[in-house]
Amino acid sequence: MQEIIISVGIDIGTSTTQLIFSRITIENLASSYTVPRISIVNKEVIYRSEIYFTPLKSLTEIDANEIERIVKQEYKNAGITPEMLKTGAVIITGETARKKNADEVLKKLSNLAGDFVVATAGPDLESVLSAKGAGSDKLSKEEKLTVANLDIGGGTTNIAVFKKGIIAATSCLDIGGRLIKIEDGKISYIYPKIKELAQSNQIHIEVGEKAEVDKLEQICTLMAEQLSMAINRSTRTNQHAGIYTNEGKPLPEELEIQGLTFSGGVADYVYHPADDDWFRYGDIGVLLGKAILKNDGIKKVQQFQAVETIRATVVGAGTHTTEVSGSTITYERERLPIKNMPVLKIPEEEEMDLEAVTASLIKQIPLFYTEGKLEQLVIALSGNFHTSFASVQELAEAILKGSQEIVKSEFPIVIAVENDIGKVLGNAIKVMLECRKDVVCIDGIHAGSGDYLDIGEPIANGRVVPVVTKTLIFNS
Amino acid sequence: MILRTKLFGHNYEFKSLREVMAKANEEKSGDKLAGIAAESAEERVAAKVVLSHITLEDLRNNPAVPYEEDEVTRIIQDDVNEAIYNEIKSWTVAQFREWILDIQTTGSMIQRISRGITSEMVAAVCKLMSNLDLIYAASKIRIIAHCNTTIGLPGTFSSRLQPNHTTDNPKGIMASVMEGFSVGCGDAVLGLNPVDDSAESVARILKSFDEFKNKWEVPTQICVLAHVTTQTEAADKFNAPIDLMFQSIAGSQKGNEAFGLTAQMLEDGRQMMLKKGTSTGPNVMYFETGQGSELSSEAHHGWDQVTMEARCYGFAKRYQPFLVNTVVGFIGPEYLYDSKQVIRAGLEDHFMGKLTGLPMGCDACYTNHMKADQNDIENLAMLLASAGCNYIMGVPQGDDCMLMYQCTGFHEAAALREILGLRPIREFELWMEKMGFMENGKLTPLAGDASVFMKK
Amino acid sequence: MNENDLRKVIEQVLVEMNGAGKEISEDVVKETVLAASTATKVEEGFIPDVTEVDIRKQYLVEEPVNKEDYYELKQYAPCRLGIGKAGARYKTDPMLQFRAAHSAAQDAVFSDVDHEFIDKMGLLTVQTQCDNKDVYLTRPDLGRKLSEESAKSIAEKCKKNPTVQIYVSDGLSSAAVAANIADVLPGIMQGLKSYGIETGTPFFVKYGRVGVMDQVSEITGAEVTCVLIGERPGLITAESMSAYIAYKATIGMPEARRTVVSNIHRAGTIPAEAGAHIAEIIKLMLEKKASGTDLKL
Repeated sequence: MQEIIISVGIDIGTSTTQLIFSRITIENLASSYTVPRISIVNKEVIYRSEIYFTPLKSLTEIDANEIERIVKQEYKNAGITPEMLKTGAVIITGETARKKNADEVLKKLSNLAGDFVVATAGPDLESVLSAKGAGSDKLSKEEKLTVANLDIGGGTTNIAVFKKGIIAATSCLDIGGRLIKIEDGKISYIYPKIKELAQSNQIHIEVGEKAEVDKLEQICTLMAEQLSMAINRSTRTNQHAGIYTNEGKPLPEELEIQGLTFSGGVADYVYHPADDDWFRYGDIGVLLGKAILKNDGIKKVQQFQAVETIRATVVGAGTHTTEVSGSTITYERERLPIKNMPVLKIPEEEEMDLEAVTASLIKQIPLFYTEGKLEQLVIALSGNFHTSFASVQELAEAILKGSQEIVKSEFPIVIAVENDIGKVLGNAIKVMLECRKDVVCIDGIHAGSGDYLDIGEPIANGRVVPVVTKTLIFNS
Repeated sequence: MILRTKLFGHNYEFKSLREVMAKANEEKSGDKLAGIAAESAEERVAAKVVLSHITLEDLRNNPAVPYEEDEVTRIIQDDVNEAIYNEIKSWTVAQFREWILDIQTTGSMIQRISRGITSEMVAAVCKLMSNLDLIYAASKIRIIAHCNTTIGLPGTFSSRLQPNHTTDNPKGIMASVMEGFSVGCGDAVLGLNPVDDSAESVARILKSFDEFKNKWEVPTQICVLAHVTTQTEAADKFNAPIDLMFQSIAGSQKGNEAFGLTAQMLEDGRQMMLKKGTSTGPNVMYFETGQGSELSSEAHHGWDQVTMEARCYGFAKRYQPFLVNTVVGFIGPEYLYDSKQVIRAGLEDHFMGKLTGLPMGCDACYTNHMKADQNDIENLAMLLASAGCNYIMGVPQGDDCMLMYQCTGFHEAAALREILGLRPIREFELWMEKMGFMENGKLTPLAGDASVFMKK
Repeated sequence: MNENDLRKVIEQVLVEMNGAGKEISEDVVKETVLAASTATKVEEGFIPDVTEVDIRKQYLVEEPVNKEDYYELKQYAPCRLGIGKAGARYKTDPMLQFRAAHSAAQDAVFSDVDHEFIDKMGLLTVQTQCDNKDVYLTRPDLGRKLSEESAKSIAEKCKKNPTVQIYVSDGLSSAAVAANIADVLPGIMQGLKSYGIETGTPFFVKYGRVGVMDQVSEITGAEVTCVLIGERPGLITAESMSAYIAYKATIGMPEARRTVVSNIHRAGTIPAEAGAHIAEIIKLMLEKKASGTDLKL
């Protein structure tokens, strides 16, 4: 039987704020004579909000009340209440994430959005989400190509590269349509890095001067060339390293991009270039789109239509964040959901040796203390090397030996294992602790060091839990 | 009706026609399990002698299950053409046998007589046939049916592509589909036995088959072998494209009940197909049978498995199927003990189906708890192809990893065609030639390269 | 035979062939010895084990048009695909792999479970009314009934009225018992322990069909009865096991009252994990006092 869960995506970006609802269909794909195999069989966007300009109180502060009003209104329009939502993500992206009250806004929205809606920020995640929303992952799998999605927004360009459907790299550059703004025919804002870029190419530009199409077009050509460098289609100049957001890292130089998709607000002007009314949005977005289209380096790569353009990030957040766990797992219902658990990964090479498992835990657990206090973490491992009953017992023992700090704490022991041993491993730990401690042990989930995991409330008659894995640090 | 004879001077007396029918059977472990088999080789022959003198009228008047109690009996009896029956009712089984074997008797003459007989007569004459008799007689009878293409034409030999998968994984299924078509398997039907028999899943697979069939313009028919009500639901609720509607059937009402089936359901299913099915027709049904299924559900009413099997065919005929096949070695050694019994049953079923007037195929197969191996099943396939069987199955190298049994592989139909000078269904052969898999009735070097279908 | 012995034999043969007394040149002898010794030399080493070939990774089609793509697709199927052809027949390697798999399947059915293994697992052995494998295979009715002696033995030696009675049976695969019991059985026991559910004395039923669980249930008076039984082997694995579980099973009850968990083996549901899953089903059965189609999982 099928079960439908509703998911929300909210994206508060540099220039726009959007919201979508989607329907995720899960189904037991196994026969009734075997262990269930519950999987997501369909994802479908059922409601798209209007696209709002992100409300700001000042250059450094988001207008939280206005955001709240917008979100409430959109829930009402869609006829959806927070209780109906089983999963989803609120994401603050680009420039907006750097505003001083970003965390506060996230928290506020997270409560408003529903019990198990995940709030998060960060350029790497945004790159991945927008690329998934644009359909680049699927495209790269179907076409068997290395595909990069360029999500070109107001402040940044987020790049995610997929090789045959698997994420290969992400990157984020300070290239965007609103880095120069125009008001009443005059330049009203220039982002310092762009001014520098222009200057080093002997183009002088100042706030207050008349907006000249020719001159701005030249600057956009320079910006497009930076993107070409970023995807290894033009030789990287010395200056190029400075264009990455927060001194982030570029894509690996050996990566050969074979296909491109474009998303973000500028994408529509790459796919459908305009030829007049350049400053219709009071910025250089339309010009930038044209410059990207004309760039020689970018032209050399095969281009594909994105499934979503301006809505890619929000669709990605609303529909592509959720997975379901394996169907035989251990959990304590009243402990769920648990949000934002940092992942403690036991590397595969250490997993083979039980003493190394214990040592790895003892070594890593102290890294998860904040202000002298342990936080709720999740231990992640492959589980590929211990599948017999006896060896699962040994593994359980080694984990317990290494995680005495967690045992002593108020937190449950939470384990995410890839291989299908979640239930037996959970039982082993429970019995070893004489059932005096809560244990959550899920399987079918791959998580790496630096990821954050959210485990939602059980669905499908309690067989599985929704899981959101957030990869926040990628190219590090 | 005389139920007594002597053999080597010994008296053999049988209490009823039912006992004669059971004991006249070639040895089957299923009849032994039911406690109705001949107790000695001599008694078996004595029963055959007695049976040879029974008239067709006696057989008609003694159906395995009374008319009032059983809808299968009612369907068989009601569908008899009385004029034809009156011509032959005085024949003994021996006369009937010799008439069928007579050189002057043509296939179309047999098909006419088929309309005037009941399943008990079909079973009776089968019991007096040797294996070669069964092949010789069956080879005369060609039953032709049309769904999207025409099956059963002389000179053709077809196969069902059976791309079963342990978890119904759509990609895994397609990998089998591609390889099967690439060696010329699948002109009878592309048909999957699903693991997950929910309407959603059935619809999903049917849609993927339809898409493949259309994309590559394969002239064949598609089917997912779920229960008739599930297929109807898949069509009604999920718009599943169905060319052929499948159902497992039994030779008694009680046997059908064990499959959750009534005659009305089949009729409803067929009507649904005629209204919403995606195929040309007029033959839109696909049935599977197999000796022993009635005994396994205690629905045999004390009768032997050959007679109950014949009744499946009498029942099936009402619904004008495109495909009918016995799954001959699937049920296990308690019904068909070893390869000898399986081969015999395969030939019996094929003959009985054709004598009933059905476009017969056969799933020549065996399970691993049976004393049989691949050589035996290749023997049976060869015998069936010689007997003019319409189709056999095709699974990757004969190993069905989902049903956990072995049957004929993708390559078998191609080999048998080449040996016996047979061809696939014409449209399908032309398609294979267009794809580069076949030339002058033989596989080309490209055949077997499933990756041809991976082209965009 | 060493080279010298061989030399002598060949010399003798040549002499006989040429007629006694004739001279045989040294060169002729040398050549013949050399040829004979290379032709029959037995080399060291092993021919690779055909049963270790991973069917998914084997791709025997010569010069496929889209090799990489189909190879990738075939990873989703456990079937014998990408096997090419020799005329309209099979290539030798896949043919031999098939025969090897069938031999394992037949051995799994027709051989008995090693008694030492059962003893080592601490299981008491009882038997149905089948005297041997052949009777077992052809008389399912006898495989559903315990021998009189066995019924007595269970009544005397096993715990009375346990909440859960678990036992093991060979069914159609002795190999399944040998391969899985050491993982499934403790997996269930540990799961039940974590739920605080008490279990009876486990034992082994030789030549058992599923239906014998009804008699076991009646003799032991267990609330839930669970049998771990070997499935009919396929060629992909001969080691697959099923668990049949029923709430208050009675002789003659409908088959629909049994809950089944099948496909338990290394490459299917991991046996230890299956054990943990079965324990949860039993817990649910005890809560709902139902099994089979009456119990929604």
